[in-house]
Amino acid sequence: MSVVAPRLQALQRWMLDALIAPESADRAAVEQHVQPGARIDAAACLGIYRRSYVLRLRRCLAEQFPATRHALGAPLFDDFADSYLRDCPSDSTTLYELGRRYPGWLEANRPDRDAPEDQREDWIDFLVDLATYERELFHLFDAAGHEGQSWPDACADDRDLVLQPCLALAQYRYPVAWYYHEVRAGRAPAFPPCADSCVVVLRRDYHTTTYPVSGLHYRFLAQLRQSGSIAAALDDIAGWTGRTSAAVRESWAAEVRQAWIEAGFFVNRGG
Amino acid sequence: MPEATTTDGAAETTPQRRGGRARENDLGLGVGLRNTHFDHILAERPAVDWFEAISENFMDSGGRPGAVLREIARHYPVVLHGVSLSIGSTDPIDRGYVRRLRRLAEEVDARWVSDHLCWTGVLGINSHDLLPLPLNAEVLAHVTSRVHAVQELLGRSLVLENPSTYLRFRDSDVSEPDFLRALCDATGCRLLLDVNNVYVSCYNAGTDPQAYLDAFPFERVVQLHLAGHQHCGTHIVDTHDRPVSDAVWALFAHAWQRSAGAATLLEWDGDVPAFARVHAEVLRAKEFMAAVAGQSAPVDAVASGPWARDSAADQALSTPVDFLVPDVMGRSRLQTA
Repeated sequence: MSVVAPRLQALQRWMLDALIAPESADRAAVEQHVQPGARIDAAACLGIYRRSYVLRLRRCLAEQFPATRHALGAPLFDDFADSYLRDCPSDSTTLYELGRRYPGWLEANRPDRDAPEDQREDWIDFLVDLATYERELFHLFDAAGHEGQSWPDACADDRDLVLQPCLALAQYRYPVAWYYHEVRAGRAPAFPPCADSCVVVLRRDYHTTTYPVSGLHYRFLAQLRQSGSIAAALDDIAGWTGRTSAAVRESWAAEVRQAWIEAGFFVNRGG
Repeated sequence: MPEATTTDGAAETTPQRRGGRARENDLGLGVGLRNTHFDHILAERPAVDWFEAISENFMDSGGRPGAVLREIARHYPVVLHGVSLSIGSTDPIDRGYVRRLRRLAEEVDARWVSDHLCWTGVLGINSHDLLPLPLNAEVLAHVTSRVHAVQELLGRSLVLENPSTYLRFRDSDVSEPDFLRALCDATGCRLLLDVNNVYVSCYNAGTDPQAYLDAFPFERVVQLHLAGHQHCGTHIVDTHDRPVSDAVWALFAHAWQRSAGAATLLEWDGDVPAFARVHAEVLRAKEFMAAVAGQSAPVDAVASGPWARDSAADQALSTPVDFLVPDVMGRSRLQTA
């Protein structure tokens, strides 16, 4: 059991507040707790920690959302980062989680959040989608995957195939994957027009690839994720499209199946 | 395991190895493992004595960082160095974190597991900084109880590092060397002496780094750290973004001798250069080690003249951590039709 250290507890709460919300610590309080340094006063000593706290985490957030930073521009991104870090200070032992709440924070703090949906600013929708996509990429980069294990080939039976563990399905209102990779290529993409996009993002051999897919394919994969059965997902597509089950199965086998197996969409059931 | 080498590639042994005395901390000269060097290390298998990995970068990794560390651990001794244990916090110990740390340490056969004499947060918030503690009897009792608990969960003794500090609390009445000595005596924990941190903290506090070393419990030291810092005129910031200063090298010579040749590691975390440059910097330690070995009296470590100054800078960043964030964009692609 930890020894109770009431003075230390009070001091730590005071100092953390002083770092996250600098206006909370007045000069008298600083001088009450902190000795002056050899050449600077107590407030300046604390100021080294304050300034580094913001700069350090702002840089980390920029590393995690490079395309969002490109879209916003560095000054505005930094302003948003400072507000985010104040509202959502890190709650994890790892910096990988620093940006976990950032897309949701952008959505919750949009200036037009109280306006009717059809009157909202579309560039904010784009930013929220872009940040959501970047967070997904960041998560998949270090999530549990299938590397080091065997992958199915085209001979595998449909009943043995399930979606691989490091795969995400996502729908966006803008072509954010395109925008992100334009930034990656060093280009300066313009703000894209609204266009629904469905994507599969997966990691194989420690490389993350985004595959744009049709709405039909997205529905199939979502059904597969839900049911765990390719046959059930194909039946759903047949019902949804009004096509015969045989036609859907033929299309799946002839046009889709092998490419998706080779891309690493699937692993064998049970590993 | 690669042999320790000189800059021209010739194999060389440390004084301990020459004497045939194999010790746990006789690892030689190591380099801090950084994401930007992964490809080089895997491809070239450089002749580095050992690597120190930042624990939090790997302990929850299901992706490439974890795989790279496991591969490196097959070929090099590895030490784990944490930045989020928060041994001085008044929050409850994060037992899940310590258990995951133990699992990683066992997985990579870590020679030891270190962190800092600091706190990183409270009320569930992590500042991701190594914040200073007041050094007094209450805090010593508090930290002692937590070191005991962590060591029990880890199943091994903990190694703690002296942090770089920019302020001292009015509530402090014990020197850092005396605090660490008492902590070691009470818990059996061991120490990582960061020589650059000694220089930085003493300059900022206006105290004598030589006196700090004279009082330090070297019998507990298993590892030394080296790093570069930025001198801002009125204070020094521990930036880890440049070569080691001459004054710190002088302190190192003294510390290396007093620690009987403890494992030595260079940290370079900001504006990280190519691996060869980082490695060359830590190999400079051999110059000072050779000088120590050729002398019967201890090296007069600390220059008595004025403190060397870099140009003042307002943007110096302590405890840089952005190097911990992987280059996700560089390993992402868009499949086009």
